[in-house]
Amino acid sequence: MTVMAPETFVEVAAPERVAAPAAVAVPLLRRIARAAPPYLFLAPGLALLGVWVYRPLVTSIQLSFLSWNLLPTSPAKFVGFSNYERLFALPDFTAALGRTAVLILGLLPFTLVVPTVVGLLARRVRGRAATVYQAMVFAPLLVAPVAGAAVWQWMLDPRGGLVNRVLGTTTNWLQEPGPAQVAIIVITGWHVLGFATLVVAAGLAGIDSEYSASASLDGATRWQTTRWITLPLLSPTLSFLLLMTLLLAAQWSFPLVNTITHGGPSGATTNVYYLLWDYAFGSFDAGLGAAAGMIFFVLFGMVALVLVRLTERLTFHDS
Amino acid sequence: MTLIEVTTPAHTPSDGAVVLRESRVRTVLGHVVLGGLGLLCIVPVYWLYATSLRAPEDIYSLRPFPWPLSVASYAEARDTVDLPQLLLNTFVMAALIALGQLVTGLLAGYAFAAWRFRLQNTLYLVFVATWLVPFQVTMVPNYALLNQLGTLNTITGVVIPNLCSALAVIMLRSHLRSIPHELLEAARMDGRGAWSTLWTVVVPNLWPALAALGVLLFINAWNEYFWPALVLQRTNNVLQLALHSFIGPEGTQWGPLMATAGLACLPVLLLYLILQRRIVDGFVRSGLK
Repeated sequence: MTVMAPETFVEVAAPERVAAPAAVAVPLLRRIARAAPPYLFLAPGLALLGVWVYRPLVTSIQLSFLSWNLLPTSPAKFVGFSNYERLFALPDFTAALGRTAVLILGLLPFTLVVPTVVGLLARRVRGRAATVYQAMVFAPLLVAPVAGAAVWQWMLDPRGGLVNRVLGTTTNWLQEPGPAQVAIIVITGWHVLGFATLVVAAGLAGIDSEYSASASLDGATRWQTTRWITLPLLSPTLSFLLLMTLLLAAQWSFPLVNTITHGGPSGATTNVYYLLWDYAFGSFDAGLGAAAGMIFFVLFGMVALVLVRLTERLTFHDS
Repeated sequence: MTLIEVTTPAHTPSDGAVVLRESRVRTVLGHVVLGGLGLLCIVPVYWLYATSLRAPEDIYSLRPFPWPLSVASYAEARDTVDLPQLLLNTFVMAALIALGQLVTGLLAGYAFAAWRFRLQNTLYLVFVATWLVPFQVTMVPNYALLNQLGTLNTITGVVIPNLCSALAVIMLRSHLRSIPHELLEAARMDGRGAWSTLWTVVVPNLWPALAALGVLLFINAWNEYFWPALVLQRTNNVLQLALHSFIGPEGTQWGPLMATAGLACLPVLLLYLILQRRIVDGFVRSGLK
């Protein structure tokens, strides 16, 4: 890795907040002027995040205690914790959490297992062929989610779709709860496989080849080298992918659910984020949506925190 | 250029023949698995274009090659939606978002890489933590704010909230840190200020990385669905949303739907085919490290 920030612009103390006596006013101004540049360069980005991420986050917290139907003309009413109470009483809410867990489990083969196998095998294949395979696996990532949803809907069409005619089945994939859930998982997995493969490839490229070379000099078999050297060194990459899957699985499948199944049949594909969307723009219950959003935010934040802590303790680093 | 460094482990001469045979088997296995997986991944993309090029009466045909080729579906799509306008709108939206994210990312990345300052780590965390805030939590307040600003149903309303991306900041920070520190030092010796150093020294040196990241951000913005779907509810004037025009209660018009979807993906697929090496390199090197 690169060295820490260069000493070109030497460390400068942040400006003092307290009013200084007149005698030191000039040096203070100079100190502020010297400390200002990094903050000025950060200002546009921070301002945008402030307005479009953190302000709405705070507003959502407030909103979660209100009853409001999103119309600017109708007043919002303060209702305390009743949105949260209502939420836990609704069977949709816990069901959506459960279905999100199923979604995450179903996606792990696509984001962890297959990319690792592919990454390890890809080391044996080189030249033009490798570039072509790589482009093919990566292509679905470039297909716009809605376009991908459209073509899969077409391939899964019970009457003339490719899938049923090739498999010789008559499953109505998108209208039956079980198959619909499977379809959403497979389509989402198809979309993110290329990304995960690329991340694993980047991780493998970062592993110093001298380790495995010296291991095989010591008489280790190829499998032993993979098991005891490559995989442990790859563990930070894999835990990064695990974190992304946990946090973003529901997000990745959102456009598919929104275009293909609309959360159905009978709610079978309604995951947490689709539920939020539905509360806000389906039933125009902004308070309930905000309360659900807060719970998911806290929940996912805790999951991320625990995972990052575990990763720090359990993974191996090359240094 | 392969994605992965191929390592050639050293072997003792005695087991050379066995290893050679074994390694050939592994190479074949690699080709079979990767090729098979690649095919599975590409089939839906192929089927999308194949369907779009079939004659209307052949839409349900399962022949692998669409023959005779027909552009009837494209013609029908053109008659239903304003394709040139949609392409232009989507392009303008994606280009503005990518450019904005590149500029804010460059400025922030430069601040993090060139100085040491008191709130450095905290402020970096402020950028990274945006990944924890799901879009669905911020959408209602942001929608309300855009409503007040009167920018609902406009491209401006789609662009403005997306002008800063944590991904751009993180990637550019790590690129900027790899710029030799002597270079910045020399620029200071020449009497250049921080602002002019950024544009005359840093940016020219960072050109390949900026281009690769720019393409990635453009692709992301082009494929963006959530926010345009919300802001442009009434007008549907970007490609991703126009697809809904062909899905109706009286059944889906698969031909024109596939044609429009194909057009929606084409620029991005071409961009990737032309720049594959650069994008992958830029992605791998900027290293999620």
